[in-house]
Amino acid sequence: MKTAQVIMATGANAAAQAVKYARVDVVPGYPITPQTSIMEYMASMVENDELNARFIPVEGEHSAMAAAVAASAAGARVFTATSSNGLLYMHEVLHMASGGRLPVVMCNVNRGIFAPWTLWSDHQDSMAQRDTGWIQYHCSSNQEVFNTILQAYRVAEQINIPIMVNFDGFAISHCLMPLTLPPQEDIDQFLPPHKPEWRLDPANPSSFSNVTMAAEYAPFRQMLSDDIIASIPLVKQAAQEYKEATGMWDGDTIDTYRLEDAEVVAFAINSMAAELKLSVDILREQGIKAGLLRPRLYLPFPAEDIIAALPQNAQVMVLDRNYNFGHPGGILASELKSVLFGRRNDITVKNRVMGIGGIDLTRRFMAAEIRAMMDE
Amino acid sequence: MLELRINGFGGQGSVTLAHLLAQAALENGEQGQALPFFGVERRGAPVRAAVRMSPTTIHAHSQCELPDYVVVMSEKLTQAALGEGIIETGTVIINAPQAVPIENHPTWQVDAEAIARQAGLFNADGPLINIPLFGAVCRVLNIPRNIMEQTIMNKWPGKNGERNLGPAGEAYNTVKQVNA
Repeated sequence: MKTAQVIMATGANAAAQAVKYARVDVVPGYPITPQTSIMEYMASMVENDELNARFIPVEGEHSAMAAAVAASAAGARVFTATSSNGLLYMHEVLHMASGGRLPVVMCNVNRGIFAPWTLWSDHQDSMAQRDTGWIQYHCSSNQEVFNTILQAYRVAEQINIPIMVNFDGFAISHCLMPLTLPPQEDIDQFLPPHKPEWRLDPANPSSFSNVTMAAEYAPFRQMLSDDIIASIPLVKQAAQEYKEATGMWDGDTIDTYRLEDAEVVAFAINSMAAELKLSVDILREQGIKAGLLRPRLYLPFPAEDIIAALPQNAQVMVLDRNYNFGHPGGILASELKSVLFGRRNDITVKNRVMGIGGIDLTRRFMAAEIRAMMDE
Repeated sequence: MLELRINGFGGQGSVTLAHLLAQAALENGEQGQALPFFGVERRGAPVRAAVRMSPTTIHAHSQCELPDYVVVMSEKLTQAALGEGIIETGTVIINAPQAVPIENHPTWQVDAEAIARQAGLFNADGPLINIPLFGAVCRVLNIPRNIMEQTIMNKWPGKNGERNLGPAGEAYNTVKQVNA
C-alpha cells in the first residue's frame, strides 16, 4: 500500500496539485496576480505530461469562463482560476455556468478590487459574486485548498452546480508550507471519473439553453435555488468521505476552535480565521472565554450548523474583510444576523471591517480588536 | 513557535533563503512556513519575508511583526530592520564584514559576501549571499549541519547543490556571536 507524501508547497501549488489529482480534462487559463502561479503550474503540468489535459490559453477571463462552460457542457471535468477584477470580468458567464447546471470548479485567489488598484487580499471579489448561483468555499490553509478542490468536484458533479474555492492571495497563495499528498489511488476512489447525465456531442448534435417562456424559466430558477440549499448534506458527506479516504479533516460546512464553552466567539473566513485560533489562545490566557466559528462554506450559508454550534448567550464578533456598501459593516455580519433573527435571540452580534487591501491581520491585533469590541 | 523575519534588498535572494529555512524545518522533523511579503518587486528595494518553525501545525498567516530572530541581509538595513519590530530579547543575525553588536539583543555576525565571493558564487546581481546566510542561520537556530546540507541537495540535486555546500558550511562554522 502506498503512503502519503509530504512536500513543501505554496497555496498556488497546492491548488495545482489537487487539480492534477482530480485528473481534470480541460484547463482554460488567463493570468492575473496573485492567481497567475496556479496557471503557470497547470501549463507546466500539461506540457510535461504530468496531467493529461488540454490547456487553453485565452485572451481574458470572460473567455476563460466561456471555454470552461463549453468544455463542461461537452462532458469534460474542467478547472480554471482567477482573482479580483478577473473574477468580475467573468461575472456574466458565471451565471451561464450555474444556470446551465455545469459542474465547473474554479479557484478564486482573493484580492481587493479596482479602483484604486491593489494586489493584496480582501474578500470583496468573491462576495461580489454572491448572487451568481455558485457554491462558495473559503479556505484557511494550503492543505485545506488541496482538500477542498477535490471535495468540490465530488459535490459539484453530484448536484450539477459550479463551485468556487476561495483563498487569500499571498497569505496562502504565496505561502510555502508542508502539504500532504495522499496516494493517487485513494483520491481515485474518493473522486470517480465524471459521468454527466447529458452532454453536448458533435456526433449527435443538440441545442443547449434556448429561450424559455416564464412557465419553464421560473421552475428552472426555483430548482437552482433549492438545489444550492440541498448541497449542504453533500458538502458534509464529501468532507466525511474525504476524511475516510485520506485521514484529513478541515471541518465540513463550518470549522470551530475552543467553541464549546465560549462566551466570546470570533466569526471570520479564510486565512485570518486560521490566525484567529492564536488570537483565541491569547484571549483565553487573559481570562476571556473565547472561541472561533469559521464558515468554511460561505454559500449556501450554513445556517443550521451555525445556529446549532453557537453557545448560549454568546457575543459573536464578526470580523469582515469586505464592505457591505449601504450598511455600516461587512457582508458576513449581515448574513449571520439574517439567520439568527427569530431563532437565537440570546446571541449578540458585533462587527468590524478589517484587513482591507491586504492590511496584515496579526494574532495580537485581532485579539485587541475583539477586546475592544467587548466594551462597545 | 519560532518566528524569524528576513530584511533585505530585492535581488539578494531573501525569498529563496526563506524557502530554504522552511524546507530545513521540515527536513528537521518540524513544520515550516515561508511567507515572503510581495510588493511591487524591483531590484534594490527593501524586501522582507516571514519564516516560522514549530513542532505543531502553524496557523499564523501574517507577517512576523515581533519575531524572535531578525536576519539582516545587508548591514545598511540594520536600523530599519529593527525598527520593523523584534521581541525584547530577540536575536539579530547580520551580514557584515565586521562585528555590529546591537544593544540588548544577542547579535551574530557573518561575512556572507566575502564567503560567496571566495567560493565564486555570483549571479547578475552580485555575490549570492543567501547561501552562506542559510548556513549561518541554521547554525544559530541549532539546525544540524547534515540537515542544512540535505536541504540544499534536495533543492538543487547534483553539481549545483554541491557548489553551495562549501560556502554554506563555511558560514555555518564561522558565524559568531559578537555580544551576549
